[in-house]
Amino acid sequence: MNHRNVGAPIITGAAKQRRNRAWLRWVPAVAAPAVIAAGVLVGSIPARAGDALADKTPAEVIALLAGNRTHTFSGTIEQVSELGLPELPATGPGSGPASDDPAASAIEMLTGEHTARVFMDGKAKVRLQVVDRFAERNVIRRDDDVWFYSSRDNSTTHLTLPAHARDLPLEDQALPGTSPDSTSPDSTGPENTVVPPTPQELAAKFLAAADTTTAVSVGPEVQVAGRAAYILLLEPRTSGTLVGMIAIAVDGETGMPLSVEVTARGGGEPAFRTGFTSLSLDAPDPALFNFVPPPGSTVEELQIRHPAHPPVGPGSPGYPGTHTEPDQLEAGIKDKAGSYLTGTGWETVVELPADTGAGAKLSTALAQNPLLAQAAAVVPGGRLLSSALFNVLLTDDGRVFAGMVPADRLHAASSAP
Amino acid sequence: MTAVAGPRGAGLSLLLSEIAVLFRRRRTWALLLALAAIPVLIAVAVRVSSAVPPGRGPAFLDRITQNGLFVAFTAMLVSVPLFLPLTVGVVAGDTIAGEANLGTLRYLLVAPAGRVRLLLVKYAGALAFCLAAPLTVALAGAAIGAALFPVGPVTLLSGDVIEPPEAVLRLLLISAYLAVSLAGLSAIGLFLSTLTVVPVGAMAATVVLSVVSQVLDQLPQLEWLHPWLFSHYWLGFGDLLRQPVLWDSFASNALLQAGYVAVFGALAYGRFVTKDVLS
Repeated sequence: MNHRNVGAPIITGAAKQRRNRAWLRWVPAVAAPAVIAAGVLVGSIPARAGDALADKTPAEVIALLAGNRTHTFSGTIEQVSELGLPELPATGPGSGPASDDPAASAIEMLTGEHTARVFMDGKAKVRLQVVDRFAERNVIRRDDDVWFYSSRDNSTTHLTLPAHARDLPLEDQALPGTSPDSTSPDSTGPENTVVPPTPQELAAKFLAAADTTTAVSVGPEVQVAGRAAYILLLEPRTSGTLVGMIAIAVDGETGMPLSVEVTARGGGEPAFRTGFTSLSLDAPDPALFNFVPPPGSTVEELQIRHPAHPPVGPGSPGYPGTHTEPDQLEAGIKDKAGSYLTGTGWETVVELPADTGAGAKLSTALAQNPLLAQAAAVVPGGRLLSSALFNVLLTDDGRVFAGMVPADRLHAASSAP
Repeated sequence: MTAVAGPRGAGLSLLLSEIAVLFRRRRTWALLLALAAIPVLIAVAVRVSSAVPPGRGPAFLDRITQNGLFVAFTAMLVSVPLFLPLTVGVVAGDTIAGEANLGTLRYLLVAPAGRVRLLLVKYAGALAFCLAAPLTVALAGAAIGAALFPVGPVTLLSGDVIEPPEAVLRLLLISAYLAVSLAGLSAIGLFLSTLTVVPVGAMAATVVLSVVSQVLDQLPQLEWLHPWLFSHYWLGFGDLLRQPVLWDSFASNALLQAGYVAVFGALAYGRFVTKDVLS
């Protein structure tokens, strides 16, 4: 205290200097978050590819897409859905998927985020791995052998394709010119092996719908999985559908569909997005396609009922391992989409009459699954499973109406004579 | 500490002495023993009880009876949410506050080592424990599993089968993953430790933060926040049990932890070099 009187100016100078230096010591503490924030901002700006790709008309991009012959690649696909369906609590150290119930696992596939790895070497060697937390669902095809493996219950299912396998949806016959795995065994497995659709599948389905009721344009070039890509924009010309816009990223080099985004009418963010986050066109390790059921695994042989019956597809009654319920629930955007969209455009409503028993099955699924029951609102004349992109109406008399249309269209269809 | 042989030599000897002191402490041994007890408990419980049906309890639990190595995987899974953060919190929270509490901090600062170097050495000691802790669980799990159950080829999540030596390699990889995962928490503990002279306070705060982070990670309403939580990738080590190994979560985790180390390391530096050391 008393030394203040003696050399006040000197002490104050030293103290000030020390305070200045103390201030400097906090610079890193401020700089570190600032640098990180700057890095995140820079990273979040989509990389502009410049003018790497020549301008193309929509027709040329569609031709490029149709000319895609990429049969050898490995990549990671990420699917994000914000359809407004209830999400399964998929957290915690337990192994997912959260439910055995096929309807619930179909719903699970349509909610939240999913990651899958795809390996492909030629047309007859495919491996798809759905990455869950501490679990994995696998579909492995090597020539005529198709294996489904779920790590959750260590179960294996085997399917031998008949010699004329091209009749089955495991070959690229359904939509000539599209990617070979556009109809790969993805969604045809046993009920515990429900896997998300790949960008190729969805691109093929939506393109099939791109008729006169759709405005097709090419958007600004984008980067997907580090590759320059054209964006093909499909916009339904009608307001009678929930779909606002579909954006398909087409690889500028190979014509491979790299991502598909579906935006609901009036929605800003895509309600559904699937796309590659990484992609390599090198041949994957051949050992990946040699699947042997692991020790202790239960192996179930699936029989193909009518191998000669041509239009057996995923979701058709009697298709091996396919439960009808999940298919109906996702009728709006999944397997049925291709078949009816080509017919009458985006406003199509699919009706499953009561005598198919579809309504009864759906009703049972709703009764058994509290999650679905919660999702399905009671409306006059039935129950409505509503989402951002599609609606499913289950009427009290057992009929099911589904479509990528507003709910009132389903009601109108159900009350029509 | 040995004779001072230039600044670099001094730093190295300080580091060695810090690690030696850390691993000679009875408390460190108690923490590691407690961690080693987790796989032992799991293995004994599975051994004396009936078979676990698949899909029940933590992942891999049902595989233990067929293959003892799964004891290690299960134990690591079980210890991630609480036990590992708890032990790391104790060690990291003690770094500076413990010395201050014992009154030894000012003697350490009298030595020509300097505060920055002391901070680095203390953090390196905490990191050494982060590496030792999951490794203890892995090795104890593999050992007790091999003692009580048959050991054979290990089925990965992808359904592919690997031989035991490769499985041990994956165990070491998971240990490394968890060590990286805990680096961010250690930096937080180090910072909290510079704030107080009561080590228990810093330890408790560190552990509480790890729990809070994990709780926030479970709330779907805070989805935007999830990728920023230091515990977000803690349970991502399952990706090392796929074929081929999925490195994405390892990389994301390392990047996230590096961010936490940078931010809280800088905060600890700012606090520690400006702090009046009175004890």
